[in-house]
Amino acid sequence: MFGNLVSMRLLAPAVVLGAVALFLFLASAFVRRRETGRWLFPGAALIGLAAALVTLLETVRLQYLPDGYNCLLGGCTAFLGMLAYDPLAVFFQALVMLAAVAAVVLTVGSPAVPQARRGEYFGLILAMTVGMCLLVSANHLLMLYVALEAVSLCSYLLTGFDAKARSAEAGLKYALYGGVASAVMLFGLSWWYGLFGSLNLQSLHFCMLGSPALSPGESGAAVVALLFILAGFGFKIAAVPFHQWCPDAYEGAPTPIAALLSVAPKLSGFAVLLRFAFNLLFDPRDPETLAYAPAQLEWALWAIAALSALSMTIGNLAAIPQNNLKRLLAYSSIAHAGYLLMGVVGGSQGGIAAVSLYGAVYLVMNLGAFAVVAAVERATGSEDLLAFHGLAKRSPLLAVCMAVFLLALTGLPPTAGFVGKVYLFASLLKGGGSLPVILAVVGIVNTVISLYFYARVLRAMFLLPPEPGLPERIAPDGAGLLAAALAVLTLALGVFFGPLAMLAEWSAGFVR
Amino acid sequence: MGFELAMVLGFFVVSGLALWALLFVGRFLRLRAPRPEKLTTYECGELPVGPAWFNFNNRFYLVALVFVALDVGVAAAIPLVVILREAAAGSGGWLVFLLLFGFLLLLAVALAYVWKKGDLRWLRDLPAPECAPVDTGRPEPKP
Amino acid sequence: MEHPTTSTLLTWIIFTPSIGLLLIGLLLLTRPLTQLTQATLDHLSRAIGVFFSAVPLVLGGLLWASFDGRATGMQLVHHTVWMRAFNIEYFVGVDGLSVGLVLLTVLVSFVAALASLPWGIARDDHHHFSRRAVPGYMAMLLLLETGMLGVFCALDFFLFYVFWEVMLLPMYFLIGIWGGPRREYAAIKFFLYTLVGSVLMLLAMIALYFASDPGALGQAAFTLADGSTGKHTFNLLNLAELGRQGAFGAAGPILGVAFPRIVFVALFIAFAIKIPMVPFHTWLPDAHVEAPTPVSVILAGILLKMGIYGILRVNYPILPQATLWAREAIAVFGAVNMVYAAFVCLAQKDLKKLIAYSSVSHMGFCLLGMAALTPQGINGAVLQMINHGIISPALFLIAGVIYDRAHHREIERFGGLARRMPEYTALVGLSFMASLGLPGLNGFISEALTFLGAFPVFTVLTIVSAVSVVITAAYYLWTIQRMFLGPLNEKYASLSDLNWRERLTLYPLGALMLLLGVLPMPVISLMDPTLRALIEPLARSAGL
Repeated sequence: MFGNLVSMRLLAPAVVLGAVALFLFLASAFVRRRETGRWLFPGAALIGLAAALVTLLETVRLQYLPDGYNCLLGGCTAFLGMLAYDPLAVFFQALVMLAAVAAVVLTVGSPAVPQARRGEYFGLILAMTVGMCLLVSANHLLMLYVALEAVSLCSYLLTGFDAKARSAEAGLKYALYGGVASAVMLFGLSWWYGLFGSLNLQSLHFCMLGSPALSPGESGAAVVALLFILAGFGFKIAAVPFHQWCPDAYEGAPTPIAALLSVAPKLSGFAVLLRFAFNLLFDPRDPETLAYAPAQLEWALWAIAALSALSMTIGNLAAIPQNNLKRLLAYSSIAHAGYLLMGVVGGSQGGIAAVSLYGAVYLVMNLGAFAVVAAVERATGSEDLLAFHGLAKRSPLLAVCMAVFLLALTGLPPTAGFVGKVYLFASLLKGGGSLPVILAVVGIVNTVISLYFYARVLRAMFLLPPEPGLPERIAPDGAGLLAAALAVLTLALGVFFGPLAMLAEWSAGFVR
Repeated sequence: MGFELAMVLGFFVVSGLALWALLFVGRFLRLRAPRPEKLTTYECGELPVGPAWFNFNNRFYLVALVFVALDVGVAAAIPLVVILREAAAGSGGWLVFLLLFGFLLLLAVALAYVWKKGDLRWLRDLPAPECAPVDTGRPEPKP
Repeated sequence: MEHPTTSTLLTWIIFTPSIGLLLIGLLLLTRPLTQLTQATLDHLSRAIGVFFSAVPLVLGGLLWASFDGRATGMQLVHHTVWMRAFNIEYFVGVDGLSVGLVLLTVLVSFVAALASLPWGIARDDHHHFSRRAVPGYMAMLLLLETGMLGVFCALDFFLFYVFWEVMLLPMYFLIGIWGGPRREYAAIKFFLYTLVGSVLMLLAMIALYFASDPGALGQAAFTLADGSTGKHTFNLLNLAELGRQGAFGAAGPILGVAFPRIVFVALFIAFAIKIPMVPFHTWLPDAHVEAPTPVSVILAGILLKMGIYGILRVNYPILPQATLWAREAIAVFGAVNMVYAAFVCLAQKDLKKLIAYSSVSHMGFCLLGMAALTPQGINGAVLQMINHGIISPALFLIAGVIYDRAHHREIERFGGLARRMPEYTALVGLSFMASLGLPGLNGFISEALTFLGAFPVFTVLTIVSAVSVVITAAYYLWTIQRMFLGPLNEKYASLSDLNWRERLTLYPLGALMLLLGVLPMPVISLMDPTLRALIEPLARSAGL
């Protein structure tokens, strides 16, 4: 545990991002010439993100920290236990920053965001990234809540950034749902604090199972508190039944923001959920056996499994009739929250590695799918399925990329999505027991359901003739190039997933 | 636990009773001076202009937000000032000072932003929107 | 485990079609630079498609020459580590079970590529599948060939699964883009049915992986190709060795069912959908009716064989106890397949649908033969796969010939075609006779072997199944009568006989039917030792 001064060094990526965000806000107020802003804002945002990534990697190399702590191996906590810097945090911080990079790149050519407001827009993206970095590092429930709010506030604003009324409506809806969810979570936190007098994540397990044993009333209250807190996580990762905001928000938000929202807050929510679940379910005094979910806490595992099964099933079923690509991808992202939760239920280091790996893969394939949507939207002004009819004839490159992403989202080889699914199912089947097996069966049934609506998009692109009135050809732009690069990455990670698997297993090392 | 809950119930009952008792007792103790001014909004002779149920100007909210932000700054600065003497006695005095200074700098940046954006001026011309006017989904009213 | 021969030949065979795929992709990507016209692009992709399916055929000849039919183990293996994360290896090789299927695949793929040329199709027929989006078509055909060859050669379960799934997408597009009127429905039905099977296989595969315990072999760990070790394995040979030791019987039950049985059932359903076995067969008639001719050729000739191949490669050696437990059920399913599908054939009006159901019926022979666990039975089953792989492509080509000319396939609307198309009628007669099992043609050998092998074990079932042979004869002969004999339907008086593209594809297949009908031993001797070794431990524990 480090004091404040040493901790500043670990906070460096967030400080860099924050400083650049402030710079962007000021610049948006003081820069008059629009031409300057056109290159200055995205440039500054990209440079800031790149600098943050570099400093993040630099913190990994900080092996000379006092007391022989090594972030690379065991990890350490900073600011007197408020923030954790361990492999999990570093891995997910890097993912979040990469997602932000993609969002910036997608925005450059997008017609959605007015040029005059781009300074604030990029500043908000960076501020949100700061929040997400803190969120994945949060080691204390209060810190967790503050970071969660920081992320949420930025996302509400960004959702409403488009000039269309639909966008403002989406932002407001998102804010209302988010407000309720965070209030519920805060209420749960207050119960927890009232019961145990501690909000430290490391104390979760002892609070529930420590001596003296809880009375029935107290443990009932603790269960309610935990469920309330879980609701907050459920909102952030868009798991059923906390998902209603998701399709509306994605549909209304500018496409780059929908892309960002579908991956970055979700993944940071998963990182902190992993940290929360493992601190609650593992007994840290028993690092050898790592007995997952002792009998008294098995209900928590069932609750997460129920969330997972519900999210997958409802997400996939609701996606079937969608005709708006952003809504379709929103429901698909709800279903993917369910898949990712399978890894949390799977437990053990394999489960964390599976969530990390699938998270990274999901980042690539989902951003890719949104990049294609952005490219088509830019050319046709619509993200309706009709705009995708005959895309194979109008833009073979985009159609092939989209096909790769859809197959990856379904989980077919030889794409990275398949590798991720294998890891998730493997984490479930490794331990045995009936709950994981049942969940795995639900998972494969859902894989088949999901194919049905992904194949609807394939059908529209390849099997149907182009709609009259749409542009004959779609020239590749920045979003198209990003999509192509991500498609290549999706295929490459499907065949050579060794390095990524190694990183994911390293990130699982936070369980001490 | 059951007993503690009973205590809570008892607390609620007692507090409810106490409230009624106070009001009841006050009815006998207070002065009674019924005048027409007592029935107006501000009870002091200042008459309100127009009804209170209308749309407030958005700028009120903006000003209120800026005020809250700066107010929180003061609230956060006070505890630091309190421990500044203690910290100065040790070695961390400059750190506390730096923290406070950094914090105030952040607030200053926020103020500069708001100022430059013109949100502190009550009367200002709104720039013509760069993008298409907001689509409200309703048909345009006929002139 | 020692392998007699190591070679990269199989890798070349598998990935040669992919080279063609990449070339077509390159052509498409560089089109803005090269400014090729659409016609040139089409011709080039056709040339690439035919060439890169001809090369594996030549390499297949080399494979046949270098394969040693007397040995039982894997030959011509190529073995390296692919991914250390799950101890996944790139491991390909052939034994007697797969070598015949690999040869069949290269042959049928080449025939399909030839059948995809627009040679002899009216110039103004722009809607013909061979004229639409040619580069994409050829690319998908080549990708499909890589997938099929990979499935037959893969000896690592993970690799097997990857190739198995790689076939899905090209098949979806080939049916969905270049198919008939209800192509979209047929394509998505095929995709969904097959995916249900594959995800079941995925779960079973992972369960087998975690249940594989090197201790059962008296080893501390499994050794990978590069000498490193792993705690679990996807290696099919290692898994089979574990299965022979009965290691999977010890694994804990899943959801209250014994581990080997539930895994067996999951894998069996996955493969049964592909066979297709009644009641999982309903995708097949739709897929066949809507698919363009060359795709039907591949579907019937090769894809259907993968189900049987998978059961023999995975279920039989890895889960022997469960196989013994399930063999009666397999035999019953086989008999149902044969008889039920044969009756359904009688009711068909569409020639292609009739052939599709006859495929279902003929795959029942394989199920019955392999369930018997006798040397004749298993040889008959595998030989039936190869024979059906020669006959059914010919049948679908035949259906394609008449469809290209008359633009429909309704049996009742033809009549007396023999007078106008004598050469065609002769080939139809030959193929139908081969399919119904006329002695002297190849179908007879495998059907007779199957019945010979199954009779001592499943006497009643075999007698019941023999009914299907009679019905098969009935529907084929009836079809010939309705289409080719009787008075000529004047509407079709102008139909031309075979053109050279059709001759090139049909005559080699017809020649093989005759050749294998008279001389089956070259094929049987390739596989007999392997198949005997495969069923020997099973038959021993069954007390046969």
